Amino acid sequence: MSPTRKRINRLPFLQWLAIETGLIVLLSLVWFTESRLAGYSAFVGGLIYVIPNAYFAHRMYRFEGAQHAHLVVGNMFRAETVKLALTAVFFAAVFILMEPVHVPALLFTFAVMVALGPLLRWFIRPQPQR
Amino acid sequence: MEMVFIAAALIIGLGALGAGIGFGLLGGKLLESTARQPELGNQLQTKAFIMAGLLDAVPMIGVGIAMYLIFVVAG
Repeated sequence: MSPTRKRINRLPFLQWLAIETGLIVLLSLVWFTESRLAGYSAFVGGLIYVIPNAYFAHRMYRFEGAQHAHLVVGNMFRAETVKLALTAVFFAAVFILMEPVHVPALLFTFAVMVALGPLLRWFIRPQPQR
Repeated sequence: MEMVFIAAALIIGLGALGAGIGFGLLGGKLLESTARQPELGNQLQTKAFIMAGLLDAVPMIGVGIAMYLIFVVAG
């Protein structure tokens, strides 16, 4: 798709990012009541979800419309591969570089964000531009 | 200790297998249905995007647990 071409869908990227960040901060504050380390680990766990997913959404909506269906599917496969690889790299980096880390807080926040992400995208979905 | 690596390999491998089969079906159905009704292409793309998020939930959590096993339990 050339840069001058008008987009078909209006993507609520900023809304998604804002709500996800708000959820992460909320979960971090809940874990913060246990310890400072748990709150910090929970925040990092949420970020591990948000960054690869933002890339996935950006990559998946690079092409739109029935004419570019094959490019949409190809980009979806590539985006998913990169998303899983980024998640693995981020987790490895956190476990190697971040010492100490509160593992239950990290994995719990990540799992909650993974479960809530599709729900968020269901309720605030891309709308066709009028 | 070797069992930990085998466990991590099984988690990542089976997760990737499931995600691969799921994404193959999802992409194939998206192409098929877009070819049948091109006017629904945008709606189908949005639904495929949401389904992709549901589909990779378990492999993503599996990757997290596998990295924990490799770098914390075995490390």
